[in-house]
Amino acid sequence: MRLTLAIHPIEELRFGEATRLDGTTLAIDQEELRRLLLADGGLESVDLEVVRPGERCRFGAVFDVVEPRAKEPADGADFPGILGPLRLAGRGTTHVLRGAAVSVIQDGSAFGRVIEMSGAAGEASPYSRLHHLVVVPHPRASLPRRALMRALRVASLKAAVYLAKAALGQEASTYEVYECGGPAESATPGVPRLAYIGQIHSFQMVAEPDEPIFYGSNTIGMAPAALHPNEWLDGAIVSSYFNLGVETYFYQNHPIINELYRWQEEGKVLLTGTVATMAASDNRDRERNSMIAAALAKWNLAADAVVLTKYGGGAPHADMGLTARYCEELGIRTVVQVSDMSTDRSAESALLFNYPEVDAIVNVGRGDTLQWVAPEVERVIAASAGAAASLASLERLTAGSVCGVTGQQGLSRLRSFVY
Amino acid sequence: MVPVAKMVGANRIIQGNGIVHPLGAADLPPAEEKELRRRILREAFEALQKDAGETD
Amino acid sequence: MRVVHYLNQFFGGLGAEEFAGATPEVREGAVGPGRLLEQLLGEGAKVVKTVVAGDNYAVENLDALAALVVKEVREAGGDLFVAGPCFQAGRYGVAAGAVCAAVQRELGIPAVTGMGLENPGVDLYRRDLYIVDSGGSVAAMREVLSRMAALAHKLLSKQEIGSPAEEGYFAHGLLRDAFVDKTAAERLVEMVYAKATGAPYESELTPTVFPAIPAPPPIADLSRARIAIVTDTGVVPKGNPDKIAPIAATNWGSYDISGVDDLRGEDFEVSHRGYDTRYVTEDPDRAVPVDALREFEKQGVIGKLHDRFVSTSGMVNPLANSRRLGREIAQRLKEEGVDAVVLVSA
Repeated sequence: MRLTLAIHPIEELRFGEATRLDGTTLAIDQEELRRLLLADGGLESVDLEVVRPGERCRFGAVFDVVEPRAKEPADGADFPGILGPLRLAGRGTTHVLRGAAVSVIQDGSAFGRVIEMSGAAGEASPYSRLHHLVVVPHPRASLPRRALMRALRVASLKAAVYLAKAALGQEASTYEVYECGGPAESATPGVPRLAYIGQIHSFQMVAEPDEPIFYGSNTIGMAPAALHPNEWLDGAIVSSYFNLGVETYFYQNHPIINELYRWQEEGKVLLTGTVATMAASDNRDRERNSMIAAALAKWNLAADAVVLTKYGGGAPHADMGLTARYCEELGIRTVVQVSDMSTDRSAESALLFNYPEVDAIVNVGRGDTLQWVAPEVERVIAASAGAAASLASLERLTAGSVCGVTGQQGLSRLRSFVY
Repeated sequence: MVPVAKMVGANRIIQGNGIVHPLGAADLPPAEEKELRRRILREAFEALQKDAGETD
Repeated sequence: MRVVHYLNQFFGGLGAEEFAGATPEVREGAVGPGRLLEQLLGEGAKVVKTVVAGDNYAVENLDALAALVVKEVREAGGDLFVAGPCFQAGRYGVAAGAVCAAVQRELGIPAVTGMGLENPGVDLYRRDLYIVDSGGSVAAMREVLSRMAALAHKLLSKQEIGSPAEEGYFAHGLLRDAFVDKTAAERLVEMVYAKATGAPYESELTPTVFPAIPAPPPIADLSRARIAIVTDTGVVPKGNPDKIAPIAATNWGSYDISGVDDLRGEDFEVSHRGYDTRYVTEDPDRAVPVDALREFEKQGVIGKLHDRFVSTSGMVNPLANSRRLGREIAQRLKEEGVDAVVLVSA
């Protein structure tokens, strides 16, 4: 299964008469986009703003960041199960506006994160180097939470697809090809077969019935599923409504899947596939998911080694640890990515599982001990005047509160050291 | 502290009657206390005569 | 820079083990290794006072000693407090750790000490203090004092302290985040590739692992078995002849019970601070069940109650220490023909 990303680099985003991609400049017809986003009826109004890389600008709370992408119509559906009909993702050609992003703001929440476009905090995140279309939806007052969140989710994806459609029919600057033979590809001595097991949701957070995460479903009742790596990259999975350190942008540009593809390109490993799994809310589901995910990696993906990540907060480490342990039992070598969840920062308490065989651990730390002085900003974008005032007056920023710094998808350059 | 004993890898662990008197019971009359002691020791003997892991 | 130094009876020049009970003395200026310390600290540094105390006195009177040291440091206007280095001397390490912790806590001035890895003071105090790894050999005194002095300077000038490996101290075991060049994705794939191909790799976090202890096979015939009692409750003969410390004991004792049917409170005492010892003091059989086992022996349920019982104190006894104690005890009991042990723990 081959996915070709047709890359159209963006060096300018601006509003214009008509939505049009001219070289590396994308002009956006605000009114047309606005009409599109308001069509569902959930939003009363929507504000649109363009933010440039390095601008002294801060916006938040961020609901999600999505890279503008649109499939060649014959090759599948955009965000199948949400915007489009259910088609297998990850095949054919998808046009990408590289260097651009659609960032959707939601009204402030306790876990709200910001995007910081300048200063040291900005430099620490890839988002500060992108051209953002910042979308501030104003949902109808009476909407219940599930409809409100769904409206944000749909708006984020619609806007992203709408922008990218401007690239259809245009020659791309470069083409990136993603292809792997899967488990049927024969092994070569000395070339380990690698797979990725990623949690895509944690049941710590109860998903809404119509909250789309996996091909439009909310994952409740789901057993772990084997996916082709391209499916993650091409719209099968989006971030849940409430998450810690995950944006759809980094499913589309999944750091770990990309890294595995790179190593395969160099002939060092064979990427055989992935498993999408969930962190459970009770022990039985945890056991079941872990057992099944490990078995898929062994018997369906024929993996020699596996990279595991978790979703959500602390408890999902236990699911990840158990899954890794079962993999090791089946002869699959594992590495896990943990965040430090200790309350006392002690190395002994940092690990939420303790299996001697799960001994390869990457620790991305806690994200709240590293801080920057908040840069002075000229422009703040938020859902309300009150939220904007709070953002404007921020004095310090912790690594965990800035999008793109401590992410769970493998992009983090943070590491925890024992002192 | 049974969890500590388990954690460090002790193979045969019997629960005693509290930290302050693992083989005693200050609240019992002497004869009963002695019987408690014997009982706990008998459990220990059972464990010594079985394969490790059958006791808890 | 005004420095106050703490030394035990040996380094303080009083004498060896026979002076371990020495009560604290406060001397003007530097004593023994304190002179070298002063030199290494450089221009402007002066050891204004040295407190010397015997190791046994120290461990048995930690609170009083700490209070005394804090008072002396305060009165001397000390900017820096240094204890030891203690190398492997366990009671010394525990005392040094306690006084450093008290000074740091109550006076807010930097405190530095040095110990070897097996010193119980390390496990007890590494989290709260800067303990330089001195290794076990006193011959390294100069080098150890240099490292202690360098660390002291950094602490005094409030510079950022480097990693344990760089500065030579025992890791506190606390985590600190920093940015590195590689993304987590890069680190993950690199690490799992190494693991999968049998190459070495360094995990970014290491869980504390307790290796499995293979279980000896069951006793075939209890009625012929020699059973020994081992305890960490601290029950010792009156007078504590082996001077087993109540906290982080570094030694154990083996005590004759041949012909004894019952342990009497008046013949024993308890060296342990970690539990209310009155019940065991009243009747030591509550921790060392000689009475019941003697009965079982007479009834033929067990072959023999071993004629000695082994005792130590398990209170906050660090792993490095208790591993050694356990090994030594096991060795002795094997030599004495013991078949099984009832280990009684508080």
